Amino acid sequence: MKRIFPALLVLAALLFPFFFRDYWLYVGIIGLYYAILASSWSMLAGQVGLISFAHAAFAGIGAYTSALLVIHGGLSIPLAMAAGALAAAVVGLGIGALTLRMRGPYLALTTLAFSEILRIFITAEYQLTQGSIGLKVPLILDGNKLVCYYTGLALFVLTLVVLTFLIHSRVGLLLVAMREDEDGAATRGVDTVAYRLIAFVVTSAFAGLAGGYYAHVVGLVSPQMVRIGEMGLILAMSVFGGLESLLGAALGAIFLQTLTEYLRIFAEWRLAIFGALVLFTLKFAPEGILPRAYLYAERFMDRWLSRAPR
Amino acid sequence: MLFLSQLANALVIGTLYALMALGLSLIFGVLKLVNFSHGECLMVGGYLYYVLATTLKLPLSISLALSLPVLFLFGVFLERSLLRAPYQRRMARYDEYVILVTFALGIFLQNLALPVFGPYNRQAAPLFKGSVRIGELVIAGDRLTGALVAFLVIGILLFFLYRTYLGKGLRAVAQSPGAAAIVGIKVLRMRAVAFGIGITLAGVAGALFGPIFLVNPEMGTSFAVKAFVIVVLGGMGSIKGSIVGAYILAIVESFGSILLPDPSRALAYKDAYGLLLLVLVLLFRPQGLFGEKERRA
Repeated sequence: MKRIFPALLVLAALLFPFFFRDYWLYVGIIGLYYAILASSWSMLAGQVGLISFAHAAFAGIGAYTSALLVIHGGLSIPLAMAAGALAAAVVGLGIGALTLRMRGPYLALTTLAFSEILRIFITAEYQLTQGSIGLKVPLILDGNKLVCYYTGLALFVLTLVVLTFLIHSRVGLLLVAMREDEDGAATRGVDTVAYRLIAFVVTSAFAGLAGGYYAHVVGLVSPQMVRIGEMGLILAMSVFGGLESLLGAALGAIFLQTLTEYLRIFAEWRLAIFGALVLFTLKFAPEGILPRAYLYAERFMDRWLSRAPR
Repeated sequence: MLFLSQLANALVIGTLYALMALGLSLIFGVLKLVNFSHGECLMVGGYLYYVLATTLKLPLSISLALSLPVLFLFGVFLERSLLRAPYQRRMARYDEYVILVTFALGIFLQNLALPVFGPYNRQAAPLFKGSVRIGELVIAGDRLTGALVAFLVIGILLFFLYRTYLGKGLRAVAQSPGAAAIVGIKVLRMRAVAFGIGITLAGVAGALFGPIFLVNPEMGTSFAVKAFVIVVLGGMGSIKGSIVGAYILAIVESFGSILLPDPSRALAYKDAYGLLLLVLVLLFRPQGLFGEKERRA
């Protein structure tokens, strides 16, 4: 089960466009944006133990940077997206350097304040950003849905590979050690502030990359992207899919994104439902709903397999 | 003249800021957590007063008085249902849990208010209409009553914290929950009381802000950010710091908006001065004005 499951997922993701066209393919394209955000955010929250409320804001920085560079700078889209990721990383470095020296909830406080101010800034500077109307952005290959989908899938796989590599590297080991016992790690000579900063900057850069992708597949970026509600959505996806695993969080994102489509009739109740879902998940299954469902499925399979005649 | 009216405005708004920041600070002091749903609890208070006064048409003073116990019970209920059990069984990763759960609560409340009350701005009637003139200075009635009520509530709170037995218990738990438990203080009860009072303070601030600004489902975020700036500026958990920090933020916002020449921008960036202040504090005095320096092992 442990080996078959990821292989099945990869196959399903690769074949998805052959079975679903137009509308659901578009849902998949947006789902991949959230999958990148949720998996990188859960890396930060789950593996490092840092709660940042600026993940949606970093996506916004990536989106606007990339969009403006393509429109005014005449850069090609892939280069501009990379620049967007870099911009998010630089801002992340600034915020991280300021807040990660202290322990406690300073990062969460500052990032929440930052994303609110960023929203105000984007709305107010309408000569540059078109304000709340939103900025029209050139699409990847004129918005060919297949190309968009596989671009998103490639970026998502890139995110998973880089972050998994980071977790299994020496840095990841030290990060987990710090999460479990910060004083212990510090006593053994780990520069805790520097490693936390690395994790924060890297995950923020992926948020920026996701933002650039979003800008060039949707074709419109607006201050709505950096709303606190959007951050709540990323949090809901990660918590629902399980903070401890990158893939779990990504599946949570895709699951909730699909659920959103079915909840369209309850349009305005949607985020309230998700909020309640997160509260219930945190209270009754803090490791996430999907990991728990997976556990039950695995147990059921084992029992069923052992009962079947050989 | 402009200077004087801006100063008066800053003092009025600062008193209301102090009210909401004290709630956040009290919760941080006793429960050692930041309530990320503080802004939304403020919004709940705003709507509660609006519903009592406008929909149920109760007298204004009774609406305000009635919202106090309701808010307190709401706060105690939240503490009991979401925060108590993880604290009691010393849940692993408790620090991250409380941030996530309070933030999710805020998202839930905000998006519950949206379909229930609609995205419109509501305005409740102030206790006192009209205006007061002192020399050339004119202060609108809604602001003046807001500040006076807030002043009264802060006075009662300080008396409660420093002159009553229960208040002493709260401060004891804030200093050291272990030692407080040894001398027979019921730590869990103190935590529930502190959360209830904190939510009440946020809610009353919301009820008083309602007539001045407007009540809408998204009002919480900007007030929450202000409250965060104030408690970091004053020092996390410091009562004195929250009051001083609130007036500093109000003065900076009030005079900052004169500095920008473009009026529409000045209005938009009024909320951004808080972030500037936050950055300065974190750079030069991370423990805040009255906070204790962090002791590291």
